Amino acid sequence: MGASGSGKTSMRSLIFSNNPASLTARLGATIDVEQNHVRFLGDLILNLWDCGGQDAFMDSYLTTQRSTIFQHVGVLIYVFDVESAEMHKDLEYFRDCLDGLRAFSPEAGVFLLVHKMDLVRDRGATFERKKKELQEHGDKGLVPGQPATSLTVFGTSIYDESLYRAWSSIVHTLIPNAAVLSKHLSIFAEACSATEVVLFERTTFLVIATSAPPPAAAALEATRYERTSELIKAFKHSCSRVREEFHALEMELPEFSAVLDEMTKNTYVLIIVHDPTIETAALKLNIRMARRKFEELQGLT
Amino acid sequence: MTTTYGATSSTPATRRTMSGTGSTPRIARTKILLLGQRRSGKTSINEVLFNALPPKQTFYLEATMRVVKHAYDSVIPLEIWDCPGNITVDTLGAPLSQFSALIFVIDIRDLYKQPISKLVEFIIAASHSNPQLHVEVFVHKAEKLQEDDKIENFRQIQERVQDHLMERECEQMPYNFHLTSVYDHTLHEAFSKVLHKLIHSLPFLEDLLNVFCANSQSPKAFLFDAASRLYVATDASPVDSATHNLCCDYLSMLNAFGPLYRSTTSSDARLRIPAAEPSPDNRSPAETKDRFYPSAAASLHPSAPGTTLTYHLITPHLALLALVPTGVWEGRRGLLEYNVVFFREGVQEICAVEREARGG
Repeated sequence: MGASGSGKTSMRSLIFSNNPASLTARLGATIDVEQNHVRFLGDLILNLWDCGGQDAFMDSYLTTQRSTIFQHVGVLIYVFDVESAEMHKDLEYFRDCLDGLRAFSPEAGVFLLVHKMDLVRDRGATFERKKKELQEHGDKGLVPGQPATSLTVFGTSIYDESLYRAWSSIVHTLIPNAAVLSKHLSIFAEACSATEVVLFERTTFLVIATSAPPPAAAALEATRYERTSELIKAFKHSCSRVREEFHALEMELPEFSAVLDEMTKNTYVLIIVHDPTIETAALKLNIRMARRKFEELQGLT
Repeated sequence: MTTTYGATSSTPATRRTMSGTGSTPRIARTKILLLGQRRSGKTSINEVLFNALPPKQTFYLEATMRVVKHAYDSVIPLEIWDCPGNITVDTLGAPLSQFSALIFVIDIRDLYKQPISKLVEFIIAASHSNPQLHVEVFVHKAEKLQEDDKIENFRQIQERVQDHLMERECEQMPYNFHLTSVYDHTLHEAFSKVLHKLIHSLPFLEDLLNVFCANSQSPKAFLFDAASRLYVATDASPVDSATHNLCCDYLSMLNAFGPLYRSTTSSDARLRIPAAEPSPDNRSPAETKDRFYPSAAASLHPSAPGTTLTYHLITPHLALLALVPTGVWEGRRGLLEYNVVFFREGVQEICAVEREARGG
């Protein structure tokens, strides 16, 4: 949810339909609610409700459709345009939506995206200011005694990796066995002498789980997962333009060796190795051997 | 042609970003003049290609107030002169005979007399002092217009330049037009074509690529300058833009991946990359073999009769990108890599000769 023109449909088309950011200008306004079923990790089906943000729609969500809209909500993603001219009105709608959510789906997670961050120059300071404003506002409508809804705020832009970071955290809360996957990825990483193993969802390339973080001494770039999602998605799009389909990648670069390959039918695995003696062919063999175990973990067999 | 140039320019006052030429003043650099009206996109072109500036950021670039010489080492050492908009033949501070190519940038929305008459002035001056100069016109910022207007404006600009030159009775000077934009691959393709005209060893590089393709069942192979993503040479089969764009994107992905997973503790053992400037005496094949050369492969189809896109670093600056049938890549990788080694030795030898000729 979010105000009209804040970028809800743009980000949906970027994450779930493999469209590049440059084409989002062609998207029209969303009328009423567009429902999407996205199969995510096989048996986990995300039901995305992209709610048109024009005032008439918003008013009807909050009155006549209130029970339909806010029932059985897993997560509410509320999008704010960072340069909104009507922040006051946006915040009012947001508070009303939050009230609706508390009444019908009190368990739902709430994520706030301060979107179009590419338009502001001083990203850090602007984001902190907005974050504070939003969190203060979220607590305002609270009836005394009611527990505060925990709000997670992200600054995002469709032009860089920040969008993938936000969405990866959102879907992470929805995956039931994330901890188990992480544990097995750590074992797999050890078997490969790998520094790190990352599991991605196949169509969105959002991060599902990672192996245990490498020791602090060998710390890697903090935004690497989101950047990887972004790079692979961009390359997938380049491939589709020549009617090819990206399938697998292996690299032996001065900095590291890596293999990115299909793990199960709906996941991809990225293995990062820094040991110069490990060959990529060995990593590929390991992926083949591990495939069945991970299918089992996902309940695919 | 290049060897007749003075080794360095005589105008040290205008030097600002002379990173490369400062340390190796003896190398004769091939000079490219970048001209055009104010705000036509000259500095943007230079920054996007040679400093890896994201196209969106070019909006924030400041106006160039004086000539900035940008040194860039690729297959040949280049020196790009980024000029302010108001420069004329007389205020340039160097004779046109010093340059190998002139790139004139025209904003596609700027159909009026000014840029065209300025271009014509330079063409006429060049026809007197340096008739071998390659004049290339980049009709730039193509992304600002719709498809139909784009073609129409492009045609009109060409026509007007032609008319003006006819009026001035200067028709013997050859020049080319390119439609470019920093937001897609057209700029890379156009600049690559300019670069090809400046590389004297191009036929030899192309021969090597032809031999590589024939022996590796590769339908297409490019020798790219890795950092700028300009292709230096390709095999004899026609270049189709889609394949070129894919290779360009692949290279930009690989360039971006490197720093992402760099580890401060363990990379020392891996770094066996060749020294940036190998001296002529370690040119022999035996010594190049034990060095580490980065490589990568992306398979583009899940099943066997698909294509694999391979990447092999050839020299510190150049990378070989080839489309190879997946069956060949998986079944006869050893042979393919042998071909790469053979190709690498050839290219390194050509580069060494080039360096020697330029006094490096």
